Amino acid sequence: MKFKEIVKTVFFTEILKGMALTFKSMLTHAVTRQYPEEKRPAFPGFRGLHAFAIEPSTGKEKCIACGLCAAVCPSKCIYIYTKEGEDGRKVPEKYEIEILRCIYCAFCVEACPVGAIVLTEHFEYSDYSKEALYMTKEKLISNWNKYMAGEKGKQYFEKFWHPTLNDYREYEGQPVFRKKEG
Amino acid sequence: MNIVFIVIKIAIVVGIVMAHVAYATYFERKAIGHMQVRLGPMRVGPHGILQPIADFVKLFFKEDIIPAQADKPIFYIAPVIAVFATMSSLAVIPFFEGFAIANINIGLLFIFAMSSLGAYGIVLAGWSSNSKYSFLGGLRSSAQVISYEIAMGLSLVGVMMMAGSLNLSDIVKAQSAYPLKMYLIPQFLGFFVFLVSAVAETNRTPFDLPEAESEIVAGYFVEYSGMRFALFYAAEYIGMIIMSSIATVCFLGGWNGPFEIPYIPFAWFAVKVYVLIFFYYWIRATVPRYRYDQLMAIGWKVLIPLALLNIVITGFIKVMRG
Repeated sequence: MKFKEIVKTVFFTEILKGMALTFKSMLTHAVTRQYPEEKRPAFPGFRGLHAFAIEPSTGKEKCIACGLCAAVCPSKCIYIYTKEGEDGRKVPEKYEIEILRCIYCAFCVEACPVGAIVLTEHFEYSDYSKEALYMTKEKLISNWNKYMAGEKGKQYFEKFWHPTLNDYREYEGQPVFRKKEG
Repeated sequence: MNIVFIVIKIAIVVGIVMAHVAYATYFERKAIGHMQVRLGPMRVGPHGILQPIADFVKLFFKEDIIPAQADKPIFYIAPVIAVFATMSSLAVIPFFEGFAIANINIGLLFIFAMSSLGAYGIVLAGWSSNSKYSFLGGLRSSAQVISYEIAMGLSLVGVMMMAGSLNLSDIVKAQSAYPLKMYLIPQFLGFFVFLVSAVAETNRTPFDLPEAESEIVAGYFVEYSGMRFALFYAAEYIGMIIMSSIATVCFLGGWNGPFEIPYIPFAWFAVKVYVLIFFYYWIRATVPRYRYDQLMAIGWKVLIPLALLNIVITGFIKVMRG
């Protein structure tokens, strides 16, 4: 045994180093978040509870019942029943999402050409019944009014998602999920 | 009249120690939590200050389950032995000058006897539960206590030689002639051996093999629940307080301090005991559990020879000084 090793064994230098580390970390701030009281702000583009966007000018939903969201949905949890609207256009009669099957991939948001379906930042909606987690059109619209009303809903499309029909310009440092042509 | 006085003393000491035991659990959870960059208990009261009370109420009202195949009388009596043995050591500890419930001349010997008796509670609990985990825990505990009792006893022989007495109050008084009013510097070897073997004696990490939860679930008290479990838990914490108190009395100068604190005669004693208890927690948060053969090797091949060396050196110096 070398001299250094003898010193190491006799004075427990390794254990002392470990003790110093634990003592140091005792004096640092804890990283715990006291969850129900202290909530972490959602990151942009967070994929939470579904909502149905409302056109502010008409007060009606933006959906044109094209069925792209239902087609692209990997878990097939969107059901659309269409009818003819007052001006002869196709409108959704029923629009239902089975939330318990949703995998929150946000393909529906990406596929929607008019930005009618959105995923809000709300995520605390566990429930004891399946009915409460089966979203109808009315519930989806009330979700929009609750979590996306006003400026927030506008920013959602400007900052993160790009409905193809709207002409929003990109801003500096925008995360690009779909490159615009030209 | 004298008996009434003693009963009052006992009530005060037991009450205070039980309160300290309750808050030692809280202190431990907080200290280890912060060492792991967590917060520890936070929900019951501000910063979880009422957590021990909530724990006690929960344990008190829990169902007391006894295994069908258990040896019932022994199963009933084992936790009582554990608590009784550790608690009775409190009787001889001098908390401050002139205050010990029983100021007997063989104080140190009495504490040894009682801490050995405490192992019976653990061994009997392990045996009577009739479960393989408890049984292994009990066996490990008996082997461990036998090995470490020797080292602990020998480490205190140096103190006895220097003080020339087994009376704990006399040991404290004898220390006031030494630097810092402590035996810490002349008896540093003994102090080291005592500290390590005290951790093993109270079954705390890194020598917590009798209750190693990753191997044998909870060791000797797997089958215990409710209040009986709480008794074992209390016994462990009282054991920690006892061991810290002995270290304080024998090596750190008991109630004497660098300066007098007016009106609180036990202040220095409490400070030293709490520093040592914190040291227990600190070790627990840092050091992983030893392997069983390593534990035995440390006990027999390191600590006992060191303690013997300490005795030889102390005796040599004592003879040289005349």
